[in-house]
Amino acid sequence: MTFLQPFILLGLPLVLVPVIIHLLNRLRHRPKPWAAMRFLLSATRSSTSHSKLRQFLILLCRLLAVAMLLLFLARPLAGGWIGWALSPAPDAIVLLLDRSASMETQTGGSTKREQALKLLAQAARPYEGASHLILIDSATRAPQEIAKADSVAQLSISRPTDTAADLPAMLRAAFDWLVDNHAGTAEIWIASDDQRSNWRPDDARWKSVIAQLAGLSQKVRIRLLELNQSPEANASISIKELVRRSRGAKGELDVVLDIQRNRATSATVPVVLTLDGQRSETDAALEGQSFRWRRKIDLGARREGGWGGFSLPADANQRDNTAWFVYGADTPLRATVVSVEREVARDLQLAAASHNAEPAQVLAAAAIAGASLENCSLLLWQAPLPEGAEADLLQSFAAEGGVVIFFPPGQAASRQFAGLSWGDAQTSDSPEGFRILRWNEDEGPLAKSDEHLSLPLTQTTFARRQQIIGPKNVLAAFEDGSAFLARQGVGKGEVYFCASLPQTEWSSLGEGPVLVPMLQRLLLAGGRRLQQVSAVACGELGPADLARSWVCVDSTRSKDIRFEAGVYRGGDRLLAVNRPPAEDEPDVIDTDEARKLFGGLPVQTLEERHLEVGQMQGEIWRVFVFAMLFFLIGESILILPAKPPPPGPARPAPRPQQREEQPA
Amino acid sequence: MHKSPHRGSSVEFAEYRNYVPGDDIRRLDWRVFARTDRFFLKEYEAETNLRCYFVLDASGSMRFGQAPGGKLAYAKRLIATLAYITAHQGDASGLICATGKTVVEIPPRRNPAHLKVLFETLDKAEARGETGLITALHDLAERVRRRAMVVVVSDFFCDLEPLLECFQHLRFQKHDLAVFQLLDREELEFQFDRPLRFVDLESSVSIVSEPSSIRDEYLRQFGLFLEQLRRGCNEFGVDYRQVVTDQDYERVLADYLIERAHLAASSP
Repeated sequence: MTFLQPFILLGLPLVLVPVIIHLLNRLRHRPKPWAAMRFLLSATRSSTSHSKLRQFLILLCRLLAVAMLLLFLARPLAGGWIGWALSPAPDAIVLLLDRSASMETQTGGSTKREQALKLLAQAARPYEGASHLILIDSATRAPQEIAKADSVAQLSISRPTDTAADLPAMLRAAFDWLVDNHAGTAEIWIASDDQRSNWRPDDARWKSVIAQLAGLSQKVRIRLLELNQSPEANASISIKELVRRSRGAKGELDVVLDIQRNRATSATVPVVLTLDGQRSETDAALEGQSFRWRRKIDLGARREGGWGGFSLPADANQRDNTAWFVYGADTPLRATVVSVEREVARDLQLAAASHNAEPAQVLAAAAIAGASLENCSLLLWQAPLPEGAEADLLQSFAAEGGVVIFFPPGQAASRQFAGLSWGDAQTSDSPEGFRILRWNEDEGPLAKSDEHLSLPLTQTTFARRQQIIGPKNVLAAFEDGSAFLARQGVGKGEVYFCASLPQTEWSSLGEGPVLVPMLQRLLLAGGRRLQQVSAVACGELGPADLARSWVCVDSTRSKDIRFEAGVYRGGDRLLAVNRPPAEDEPDVIDTDEARKLFGGLPVQTLEERHLEVGQMQGEIWRVFVFAMLFFLIGESILILPAKPPPPGPARPAPRPQQREEQPA
Repeated sequence: MHKSPHRGSSVEFAEYRNYVPGDDIRRLDWRVFARTDRFFLKEYEAETNLRCYFVLDASGSMRFGQAPGGKLAYAKRLIATLAYITAHQGDASGLICATGKTVVEIPPRRNPAHLKVLFETLDKAEARGETGLITALHDLAERVRRRAMVVVVSDFFCDLEPLLECFQHLRFQKHDLAVFQLLDREELEFQFDRPLRFVDLESSVSIVSEPSSIRDEYLRQFGLFLEQLRRGCNEFGVDYRQVVTDQDYERVLADYLIERAHLAASSP
C-alpha cells in the first residue's frame, strides 16, 4: 500500500492521544470519600473482568478511529485486485487535446480534432461519475474540469486554432494539475496527430517531465488516441521572405513563398492575392512536395504601409491555406562606412548607396561613438575589430535588427566580434587567384537575382584574402574551403565577415556585379532595425502585445489574435499573425517512438480495452472512512450509560419523614 | 427505658444542699442544724438496678454522610439524648468511645453531674482510623459482670462474623443489647452517574470506579451484609435498628422508646 500524502503518517503517534486522555482522566476523577469501601472493592473485583473488557474495547475503538482518520487523510492506494475492487476508475483523467492547425486536416469527412473530441467523449463517458475529467488544450494549457464528457466538443477551449502544440509543456501542465489538486490515480489521455514538430521528441523537457510523473506516489498511465493518419490531398503556404523595394518613384514587394504539399504531382494552382482588401488571382505551377515561389507585387506610388495575404484553393486543411503579411511604409535607408583607407571607403560608399542615391556616410573608427545611426540599416567596417564602447555600440546596432559587415583590415589580430576574428592575410601564388565555386544561392546576400540569375562570383578574381577565424555559418567559400563570406546572428540582426576588399590588389569586387547587389541586399535586410515587428507566429504573441486591443482587418468576422491567424490592427500598428512554420512540417512520430518517450510509464492506446489488474492502483480511502465511522459508532455504543438504576437500594430503607406537629 | 423495682428515696448519700421553702422538712438534717444552726437537706443518689453502657463507634467510616458531621454527629445526638433520658430516669449511664485503637471509657454513674462529663466526652470524640468496636465490645463483655444495658451506635462496616461473636458474647453475659446501625442514603442507593475516585475513610486505599458498572453488584453485596447482620441480631436477641441519617432522630428515638415500653409492658 502506498500513500498520496505520506507525511500525514508522521501523525500516527496521535493514536496514543486517547490513551493519554484516558490516563489523565483517571487522575482527574473527582475524589469521593467513602465509608462502605469493603462492598465497593468486592463489587469492583466481581465486575472487573467485564468492566475492564469494556474499557479496553472503548479505548481500542478510539485508537482505531484515530488511526483510520490518519490513514484516510494520508489517502492510501492499494494495488492488485483489492485496489481494483475498491476503486475501479482512476481518480482523474486528464485529456490533452492538440488544437494545433495541423489537427484541422480532414480525414474521412471530419477533421482530426473533431475525431479526437468524439473519441475522447466516448471513452470518457463511462468515467463521468467516478473520475474527474480535466481538459488541457494545446493553445491555452489551462486545465479545465468538465462535468460531462459529451460537452467537451462544445467548449471554447476545444475549438480549432492556428497555433502549434507543445506536448512536453502540456504534460508539464498535467503534472502540475495532479500535484496541485492532490489527485489520486490518474490517466493522461493524449489526443494528437503525432506531428513531430508538436511532440518535439528531442526536447530535453521530456526526460524531466516523465521523471516527475513517474516519481508521483500514485500511478499515472498514459493512453494515446490513435487517429486516422491518411489525410487527403493538402497544400500549405507560408511566407519565407518579404521585402519592400523602391523602383524609382514606385514601390514593390518582393515576396518569397514556400508551398508544401503532401502529394508530389505537378499541378497549377490558382493563388489568390489579397492586397489591402483587393483580391487578384495568379496561377502557380507547382512541382514536387516543397516548392519555393517568388512573387513581386507592384505597390505603385503608394508610400505608406499595408497588409495582404496569399491563399490556396480549399483542400484537406483549410487552416494552412492562407499566409498573411504586413508591409511597412517606404523608409529611406542609409549605410555608414568606417574605413582606415580612403579608396576602400569610397568604393564601399558607392556600392552601399541607397535607392534614392543618398550616399553612405563615412566615418573614422574613433568617430563612431559620437555618430548618429538614425535611418542607418547597414554598417560597413574596414578597420581593426572594435573593442570596448565601440564594440558595445555595434553589438546593440545588430541586436536591434541592423546589419554589420566587416572587411579585412589587412593585419591579423586576436580581437573578436561575435565569436569571429581576423587571421593572416594571404596572397595567391596563382595568377588566377583564389576561386569561389559554390555559395548559398537560395537565400542571403549572394542569392540568385529576381531573374533567377546567379551572381558572377565565379568570374570574380581574388588575389588576396584574409582568413576568418572562429565557428561560423559560411555562405560562400573559396575552393580550398576557406570562407569568403560568413554570417553570425546577433539578436534580431546579423553580422557578416567578408574575406576580401574591393581594391585591385585584393580582388575584382570593385567592379560591382557582386559587391553592389550584396551590399544592397544587406542594406534592405538591415531595414528591420527601423521597422516594428510586423509578423508573429500564432500563439507566440508577447505579453506586451497580448495586453493591447486588436481588431481583425482581414475579415468581417471577429477573431481572437491569440488563437487565429490573420491581420490585426492595434492602434496605428498592423500585425500579421500566421500559424507557426513548424505546423506545415509533415513529419509524424510513430507509436513505438511515442511509447519510448514515456520511459517507464505504462502506455496504452485508448483502443486497448484489456487492463492488467496488477497495473491498477486505486484509492481506498473510503474503506478507512467507513472503518472510522464503525469504530466511532462502536465507541459511542460502549460508552452509553447502563440502564437507569431502579430507585432504592437492595433492601428498602426508610425515607426521611417530616415531623408531625402535635396539636396544641 | 427501664422499669425500676425500687420505690422512695435512696440510701446512698450523694451531697448536701441548702434548704429552700417548699422542701420536705422531714429531709432536713437535724444534726447539721444542731452544729451549724443552718438548714441543709441531705441528698442521696437514686438507687437503680440499671447500668447503661453507650458504645460509640468513632472509626473513620462514621465521618461519612451528606449531613454536616456525618454519621458521627447523628450518633452523638442519639447517645446524648438516650443518656439524658437514662439520667433522668435515675439509671447509671457510661460511655465507651472506640476511636481507632483508642478506647475512651467513662464508667456509668447515676450522679446528674456525670451527664456533663459524658456530653463533653461525646463532644470531643472525632471519627478517625479503623474501627476498634469489636475489641471494645469484647472487653466490655469481659469486664462488666453485672447485668447491664448496652447500646451500640455504629455503621458496623467490619467483618460480620467477629461482630456477631461480640453480640453473642454480650448476650451471653446477660446484657440487654440494642444496636443502632447508622447508614447514609448514598451508601444505600449508590446513585452516581459518572466515574469517581472513591477514597476509603479508614485507610488510604482509593479506587477509580464507574458506579454504573458496579452498582448492581454493590447493592447486592451491601444488601446481603445488612440481611446477615439483621438475621444475626435476631438470632442472638439483639435489638437491631437500621437508621438512615436523613431520618429525624427524634422519630427514631420515639419509635425505639415506644417499642421498649411495649416490650416492658408485655414482659411478666
